[in-house]
Amino acid sequence: MRVTRTAVAGCTAAVLAAGLAACGGSSGGGGNGGSVSGDNLTIYSSLPLQGASRVQGAATVNGAKLALQQAGGKVGKFKITYKSLDDSTAQAGKWDPGQTSTNARKAASDKTTIGVIGEFNSGASAISIPILNRAGIAQVSPSNTAVGLTSSDAGAEPGEPNKYYPTGKRNFVRVVPRDTVQGAAGASVLKADGCKKPFVVNDKEVYGAGLATNVVDSLKAQGIPSLGNIGWDPKAPNYRSVASSIKAKGTDCVFISGIVNNNAVQLTKDLAAAMPNAKILGPDGICTATYTDPKQGGIPASLANRVQCTVATLDPAKYPPAGKQFFAAYKKAFPGTEPDPYAIYGYESMSLLLDAIKRAGDNGNNRQDVINALFATKDRQSVLGTYSIDKNGDTSITDYGLYKIVKGQPVFDRVIKASGS
Amino acid sequence: MEAAALPVRRALRSSVGTAIRKFLNRYGLIIALLALPVYFGIHDLVNQHSLTHIFENLKDGVSNGAIWALVAIGYTLVYGIVELINFAHGEVFMIGSFVSFSVWSTIGLTLTTGALGVVFGLIVTLFVAMIASGSMNVLIERVAYKPLRNAPKLAPLITAVGFSFILQNVGLEWYGGSQKGVDDLIRAQTDFFTIGGVHITHADVLAVAVTTPLVLLLAWFITKSRLGKAMRATAQDPEAARLMGINVDTTISATFLIGGLMAGAAGLIYALYQTTIWFFQGFQAGLIAFTAAVMGGIGNIWGAVLGGVIIGCIQQIADDRMGGGTWTAAIVFAYLVLIMVFRPQGLLGEETREAG
Repeated sequence: MRVTRTAVAGCTAAVLAAGLAACGGSSGGGGNGGSVSGDNLTIYSSLPLQGASRVQGAATVNGAKLALQQAGGKVGKFKITYKSLDDSTAQAGKWDPGQTSTNARKAASDKTTIGVIGEFNSGASAISIPILNRAGIAQVSPSNTAVGLTSSDAGAEPGEPNKYYPTGKRNFVRVVPRDTVQGAAGASVLKADGCKKPFVVNDKEVYGAGLATNVVDSLKAQGIPSLGNIGWDPKAPNYRSVASSIKAKGTDCVFISGIVNNNAVQLTKDLAAAMPNAKILGPDGICTATYTDPKQGGIPASLANRVQCTVATLDPAKYPPAGKQFFAAYKKAFPGTEPDPYAIYGYESMSLLLDAIKRAGDNGNNRQDVINALFATKDRQSVLGTYSIDKNGDTSITDYGLYKIVKGQPVFDRVIKASGS
Repeated sequence: MEAAALPVRRALRSSVGTAIRKFLNRYGLIIALLALPVYFGIHDLVNQHSLTHIFENLKDGVSNGAIWALVAIGYTLVYGIVELINFAHGEVFMIGSFVSFSVWSTIGLTLTTGALGVVFGLIVTLFVAMIASGSMNVLIERVAYKPLRNAPKLAPLITAVGFSFILQNVGLEWYGGSQKGVDDLIRAQTDFFTIGGVHITHADVLAVAVTTPLVLLLAWFITKSRLGKAMRATAQDPEAARLMGINVDTTISATFLIGGLMAGAAGLIYALYQTTIWFFQGFQAGLIAFTAAVMGGIGNIWGAVLGGVIIGCIQQIADDRMGGGTWTAAIVFAYLVLIMVFRPQGLLGEETREAG
C-alpha cells in the first residue's frame, strides 16, 4: 500500500516537474517518435455517431472508408486497418467528454496506431489532442474550426493552444479552414443580406463561443458591429423571453454560433417567431439534415427561406476533377441520399493521413515521421483543391460555401470569398 | 448610572430589532416577491413609458407556470399523503409528452390538418396521454412503493430514483438523445388576441385553458367528493383513517392516479407549447415543479399552482432581462432560499404531520 502510494506521488511529482505524462505510459506506444513494430498499422476515427450529429459523423466515416478502399487498404508495404469509434453517447445525444477521452486512450494504447481522424467537435478535440499528443500520435480533424486548437489568434482563449500540447510538439492538423475564416465568411454574408443590426448567440462550447468571438470581430470590421453576443442554455425548455430581449434591441439578423445538438432547433424557432422578418445564419455546426429537415426533428419548413448556413464544403461542380470523381464514387458506394457536406472531409482526412504515411517512406510506421510528413504537406493536390498545411496545422484553403435549405436539405448556394485575416 | 443605562439601551435596541424582524416576517416575503416585477415595471415606465413589456413577461410566466403547476400538483398530492418525494414524477410527465406526440402522429395530425380536426384530435390525445401517465404512475406505486410502505423512509426514495432512471432510458430509446422538434400543430406563437399591447398567443391560451378547469375540478374533487375526503383523512392520519373504515391502499393508488393524470395533461401542453420534446425534459421539469410545490407549501394544491406561476414569472423575467438565461436557474433558486427563510412551511403551507 505504502509502496504504491509513494510510487503514485513520485509519479505525480515527475509529471508536474517535467510537464510530461510519461508515467505508467508504457502502453502508450513508446511515447514520441515510437515506431510500430511490423507492417500492420491502424487508423482510428472518433466521431459522433449518435444524436443530432449522426448524419455528419456517419458521412465522415463513409468518406474515410471510401478513401482507404480506393487505396486498396495499404500504403506501400504497410497494411492499414481502419477502426471507427463513437465519441457520442445516447444519453448526451452528442459528443461526450468521457467517451472522447476513452477513445483517445484506446487509440493511444494500441501499439499499431499510426493516426487518428477526429474529433468532429472542437470541444472534443480539446480533450483528445493532449492524450494523443503525449502518445505522439498524428491527429487529423475533418471538421474542427475553433481557432484556439492551433493558434493563439483572435478567438482563442488565454492559454490556447499550448495547453493542448503538453509535449511542446505539434501533432494535430485539420483539413477545414479555421473560424477566423468562417467568422469573416458569416459576417460578409450578413452584410450582403443587408443586415444593419446583427446579434450573435453562442452555445458556450469551445467551438460555439470561439466562433462567436470571430463573428463579432468580423462584423465590426465589416462596419456592422453586433448588438450583442450572449450564450444560450442548451437545457432550457424554450428561448421565448431570450428572443424577445434580442428583438427589443432592434435586431434584424441573428447569427447562431453553435451545434444542432445544443437545442439549436428550439432556439431558431423561438427567434424566428419573435422576429418574423429577421434573417438567421448559422455555421457548419447546424448545417445538417437534423437541423434543416422537419422530418428529422429539424426546423419547420416555413422557416426554410429565412435560414442559411455556412460550411467549408463547396458545390461538386466547384471542385477540381478529383473532387468531382469523389462525389461520383461516394454516391455509387453509398447510394440513397445526397452526400452530407462532411463526407468529402472524411475522405480527405483519410487520404491526407495515407499520403503522409507514404511520404514517410520506409519509416511509415514511425509515428513522429508521419507527424513530420503531415506538417510538411505542401501544395497537396486533393479532392478539395490544392492546399498546404502550415506550422500550426492549419490548411491554406479559405473558401466557404453558403447553403440554403431546399426540401429539408442544406443545398449549396454560392462560394463566399473571405480573407482569413 | 452607567450600569442602569445599559439594560435600557439594550431593551431599546432589541425592541427596534424586534420591530424590524416583525415587519420582515410579515411583509418581507411580499417585498421579495414583488421586487423584480416592480423594479422592472418602474424601469419600463421610465424607459419605454408603458408597462407592456413587464406584462408580457408576466403573461409568459403565467402560461409557463401553468405547466409547472400541473406537474407540481403530482408532487404535492403524493407528498401530502404518503410523505414520499416521487422522483419518478418528472419522468411520468415526460412520458406524457412522448405518448402525446406518438398518439397525434398515429392519428395523422399534421400541419395541414384543419382547425376542427386538430381540436378534436388533441382532445383524444389529451385523454390518452392522461390515462397513460396516470396508469403508469399507479403502476409505479404498486411495484416500487407499496411493498415498501413499512420499510425505512430511504427505501422508497431510492426506488423512486431508480424508476426515474428507468423511465429516462425508455424515453432515450424511444426518441433518441437529442431534443426532438415536433409539429407545431396549434401555431403556438401566433397571436390569439392582443390586450393593451400584450400578445396572447395560442400557446398561452392552451396552457391556461387546459390547466384552469383541471385544477378547479381537482380542488372540488378533493374537498367535496368521498374519495377526496378519504384522501385528506389519510393525509392527516393514516392509522385513524383506517380505523374509520377508509381503504388506505385504494386512496393512495387514487392519489397517484390523479397526480399521473395531471402530469399527462402537462405533457401534452408542454409538447404543444414548446414544440420540442426531450427524454431529459422530465428531470428539469421535475426539479422545477418540486421546487414550486415546496415554495407553495407542500401538500397544498393551490400552493403548487401559486409556486408554479411564481417560478414561471421569475424565469421569464430573468430570461428576458438578466443575461439571456445565463442566470435564470440561480435566480429561481435564490428566490426559493428567500421564501424558505421567511416561510419554512411554504407560501400556503400548513403544518405537516411530523410538525403537528
